[in-house]
Amino acid sequence: MIKEEITITNSAGLHARPAASLVKLASNYKSDFFIHMQGYTVNGKSILGVMTLAAEQGAKLELQVDGPDEEEALKAIKDLFERGFDED
Amino acid sequence: MPFGAHPPIPKKEKISVAYLVQKLRERVHIDLQACASEEQCENSYVTEADLHRPGLALAGYIKTFTYQRIQVIGNTESEYLEHLSEDERKKAFSNLTQFDIPVIITTDHNELDPELQEMAQKAGIPLFKTNIETTKFMFLLRDFLEDQFAMQTMVHGTMVDVYGIGILIAGKSGIGKSEVALDLVERGHRLVADDVIILTCKGNNLIGAATEMNKHFMEIRGLGIIDIMSMFGIRAIRYQKRLEVVLELSLWDESKDIERTGLDKDQMDILDVEVPLVHLPITPGKNITVIAEVIAMNHLLSHYGYDAAQAFQDKVKTNIAKKQRKEADMPRRAIEYFEGDTE
Repeated sequence: MIKEEITITNSAGLHARPAASLVKLASNYKSDFFIHMQGYTVNGKSILGVMTLAAEQGAKLELQVDGPDEEEALKAIKDLFERGFDED
Repeated sequence: MPFGAHPPIPKKEKISVAYLVQKLRERVHIDLQACASEEQCENSYVTEADLHRPGLALAGYIKTFTYQRIQVIGNTESEYLEHLSEDERKKAFSNLTQFDIPVIITTDHNELDPELQEMAQKAGIPLFKTNIETTKFMFLLRDFLEDQFAMQTMVHGTMVDVYGIGILIAGKSGIGKSEVALDLVERGHRLVADDVIILTCKGNNLIGAATEMNKHFMEIRGLGIIDIMSMFGIRAIRYQKRLEVVLELSLWDESKDIERTGLDKDQMDILDVEVPLVHLPITPGKNITVIAEVIAMNHLLSHYGYDAAQAFQDKVKTNIAKKQRKEADMPRRAIEYFEGDTE
C-alpha cells in the first residue's frame, strides 16, 4: 500500500468532469484506490464518491493505492492531478 | 473487509444551544420556552451528550461539578430551592451561575423564581423551561444528543431497504452493486444511498444514510448519473435505515471457501457493532436481486425464530439417531400415496 498527499490545482475543483477522468483512469488499474480528505474516506473508483468530496482548488487530498500495480497507478493518478485534469 | 478502510469520520465537537433548542422544538416536538439569556444561545455550546442534575452543586458541593453538561432542574432541585429562604436560595443558585454552564432547563412545569432568572440573565446562561416530565425529557434529550455526537463512518457500497431489512451491498467497483439496487428499486424496494453511505452508531445499532451530496443519485455505468427520487418517486427512497445485513458481492473464485449450509454465520465489525455478513460469488445466470430478497426474507424468518439451516440440521440429526436405534431406514418418498395428476 502506498500513500501520497496532493493538492487540487485546477480552479473549478473536483467537479463532475475531472471526477469522471479520475475514476476512469483509476478503474484501468487493478489496485484499490481510496481518497482521504479531512478525515473522510471515499472509494476513488466511484464517481459519486469522488464528487461527494466536492474538493475545491487548494484542497489537500491523500491518495491511497493498494494492489499489484500500485506504483504505476499512483504515478498516472498523480500525473492527472498535476496536469489540473487538462482543464485550465 | 468488504469495503476497505472505514475509519470513523470526525465527530461534531459542539452544537450551539440555539441549534439544540431549534431542533428539539422542530424534530423532537419538545415545547421549550426561554426564560433568560436567550440572546446568548448562539454563543453557548454543548460539547457532550451527558446530562447533569445539579442537586449536589446547589447544596454547595461543587468539587466534581460537571458544569459543562446541560443542567436539568427537576422536581427535587426545585423543591430544594423552594424550601430555602430567599437569601439562601440565591446563594445556592450562585453555586451554579459562577460556572460557564451551556444551558439550564427546568422541567415538569417547574420554574425558577424571578430573582434566580435574573441571576442567570446576569451570568449569561441561557435558561429554558418545559412542561414535560423530567425523566421523559431527559430520555428524549439524551437520545437527540447521542445522535448528534455519535460515531460515524463512511463506507463504499449501496444500501437498500428490502422488505424492511437494511441491506448494504458491498464489493469492488464495477461489480454491479448499483445495478442490483436499481433492480431492487424497480421491484418496489427502497434506496437509502448509492456509492457513499454514512453509518451512524446509535446504541447497539448502525443507521445508514446518504450524504447531503449524493441523496438520491445513482451511477449506472454506461448511462451516467440518474436521480432515483425524480424517476421512481418517493416510494423508491428512504432517508435512513438500520443496517441489518452486509451482502458482499465477489467474482466467482473456485479456490474460495463458500458457505453451503448457512449454519456458520459470518459477522463483520463496524464501529464495534457486529453485523451479519453474507458472501455471494457472482456467476453467469445468477439473479442477485432475487437472492437479495431471499436474504432479507431469511433474515426476517430467523429474526422471528425460524432458522431454515438449523431446522434441516435438526431433522438430519433426529434421523441419524432413529437409524442408530433401527427405527428408521433410508429416506423414502415424502408422500404415502401418489394420486396421479392426469387431466
